[in-house]
Amino acid sequence: MIPTILGITIMVFAISRAAPGDPVSLSMGPGGQMDAQRAADVRKVRMALYGLDKPIPVQYAIWLKRVVKLDFGDSIKHHRPVIDLIKERLPVTITLNLISIVIIYLISIPLGIFTAVRQGKFSDKVSSIILFMLWSLPSMWVGQMMIGYFCGPTFKNWFPPAGLSSNFADSLPFFPWLGDRLWHLVLPVICLSYSGFAYLTKQVRAGMLDNLRSDYIRTARAKGLDNWTVTFRHAFRNSVIPIITIMASLLPAMIGGSVIIESIFSIPGMGRLAFEAITTRDYNVVMAVATTAGFLDIVGLLLADIAYAIADPRISFESME
Amino acid sequence: MNEADKKNWGTSYGQLVWQQFSKNRTNLVCLWFIIILFTIAVLAPFIANDKPLIININGKVHFPLFDTLTANDYSVFLAAITGITLVSLIRRNSRKIDPFLRSGVLWKQVLICTGILLVGIILLQIFFPRKLDATDYRAMIASGKASNAIFPLVPYGYGRTDIKVSQKPPSNEHWLGTDDVGSDVLCRLIHGTRISLSVGFVAVGISSVIGIVFGAIMGYFGGKIDFIGMRLLEIMMSVPTFFLIITIVAFFPRSLLNIMIIIGITSWTDDARFIRAEFFKLRNQDFVQAAISLGLPLRSILFRHMLPNGIAPVLVSITFGVAGAIFIESALSFLGFGVAPPTPSWGQMLSTGVSTTGEFLWWLTFFPGLAIFFTVTAYNLLGEGLRDAIDPKLRKAV
Repeated sequence: MIPTILGITIMVFAISRAAPGDPVSLSMGPGGQMDAQRAADVRKVRMALYGLDKPIPVQYAIWLKRVVKLDFGDSIKHHRPVIDLIKERLPVTITLNLISIVIIYLISIPLGIFTAVRQGKFSDKVSSIILFMLWSLPSMWVGQMMIGYFCGPTFKNWFPPAGLSSNFADSLPFFPWLGDRLWHLVLPVICLSYSGFAYLTKQVRAGMLDNLRSDYIRTARAKGLDNWTVTFRHAFRNSVIPIITIMASLLPAMIGGSVIIESIFSIPGMGRLAFEAITTRDYNVVMAVATTAGFLDIVGLLLADIAYAIADPRISFESME
Repeated sequence: MNEADKKNWGTSYGQLVWQQFSKNRTNLVCLWFIIILFTIAVLAPFIANDKPLIININGKVHFPLFDTLTANDYSVFLAAITGITLVSLIRRNSRKIDPFLRSGVLWKQVLICTGILLVGIILLQIFFPRKLDATDYRAMIASGKASNAIFPLVPYGYGRTDIKVSQKPPSNEHWLGTDDVGSDVLCRLIHGTRISLSVGFVAVGISSVIGIVFGAIMGYFGGKIDFIGMRLLEIMMSVPTFFLIITIVAFFPRSLLNIMIIIGITSWTDDARFIRAEFFKLRNQDFVQAAISLGLPLRSILFRHMLPNGIAPVLVSITFGVAGAIFIESALSFLGFGVAPPTPSWGQMLSTGVSTTGEFLWWLTFFPGLAIFFTVTAYNLLGEGLRDAIDPKLRKAV
């Protein structure tokens, strides 16, 4: 856990230092009126000011010390501490991803079981083709088509094209406000979840098939247990574990995907923040967002591990006796 | 060597996999689709170009299209020729060369071809003169100065801007419509094929080389090296790749080569894991022990003796990797972090579909997206087919 966090920070820091052009030359601009001697002096003073004259490992240690205190410096564009921006934007992204993950699991587990039980039948074949197509659909295409088709004056004007809530949302009572929020979330959540949903359904199906073919299932059937018990009590319980671990591989993809989704639907989340920061070359924000995304991911992995231990009594994190 | 010996060679592992692979019709369709895409990409200037193939100016015959081919075009042709040579060499190897020598010969062939290709591309990029031909051949024909012109199938250039015909839906002149600066969408799609396919190819080339070397060393040595390597891998895997990529994109100058390298160096983890697992299995086998006791150099043990036996699962992850790289490139271009605008890229074209007034120009989004979708799907299906062909256990099961 700790090495991973350290590794992420090292990577982000290394990228920022390996990049051509240091902040001082960027802030001083090209040449100008200063004579060479004076320019060199100014440069030296500024390098010392930003701590850039120290060796790279020392610079990294200083940066890390600030990161631990959640101090990422100031945003050049917003003129505010970066951490405030992140505090504002992070909940949006987390909510979006949580809703999507819940929906993914809620739909794909029953669907996976259903298709596994009906393996080889027509409904299984159709659903596997559809799932495969969903899996390879580029999310920016789907998002853009949805915005164009459902949110514009050209075709249907059903959904709002951007943002998290309408302008007048604050004046609404609770339930209409909630409805307004949800209405804004429909398209982004669909975009964010369909490919993970397709992937997970495939995995659930494969896991169930593996289990349904095994000997203990045959024994259970021979014992005279009914189909329901065999499927859910025996096969499903055993195929749940890999499904939980898949969350670990689903998360990075979803957090990365939220950059695309949030910038398509103009949702003020972390992804959008990253997008804006890159277009305005707001380096402090870029570094902070990358680090935060890494943290988010690790928290997700940790949760997956805990869920894993709960689901499978054979696994324990205590050391071997 | 006589014919009887050749009969005794039997079917190699590669041939067995190919037999399994070609049994499935979907796989073959996908393979052909990708071959056609590559053909389109290579021949793009001959399919979509605003210069005529042949034109008769004042009684003299000119070939403007051939005269305006750039160093990039010739590099692509060179790459295509070496690629075709390599494929035909591999086919010839399986008929003519003893299975014991095959992998060694193949190594040499691949190295020579890659060398020729790299040297050729570098020479072309340095020495080939840049030519600009701004002549409007259409106007010449219209004014009667020239005649007997043969234009390519899509007679528009991808960089052409013509504000008079901007944002027109599909019609007879522009089969897939025009974009907001009046370029022909079909022409840009055809030229965009090059970007997508080359990104997929080069990025995956880079990532698989890194992954194979890394995974091979980890799997072969095991122990401490493996432990440290695995921790590194875990770190790489738990970083959200897309965030890492856009972080790098933010700090480094944007060019096609940079994007290829960035995608390459961030997506090698799967290859490394697969190779490591294979090498763990292989390293205690007799032929590896024999190679070690013969005192062969490490390079030879790892890459000439072990790698050919453990490459199969990596081929699958490479195929999926191409799909992933194409997807990432189009996502980057979609966000505006890709290649600079006059160069056509599917992702960038897709993003222009919703105009600033909120109007939906569906043809600008629909067709490029469809192109990305088909390409990614074809590679994914190919990967699945390959995996089923390689893994006999899965083959029986599903």
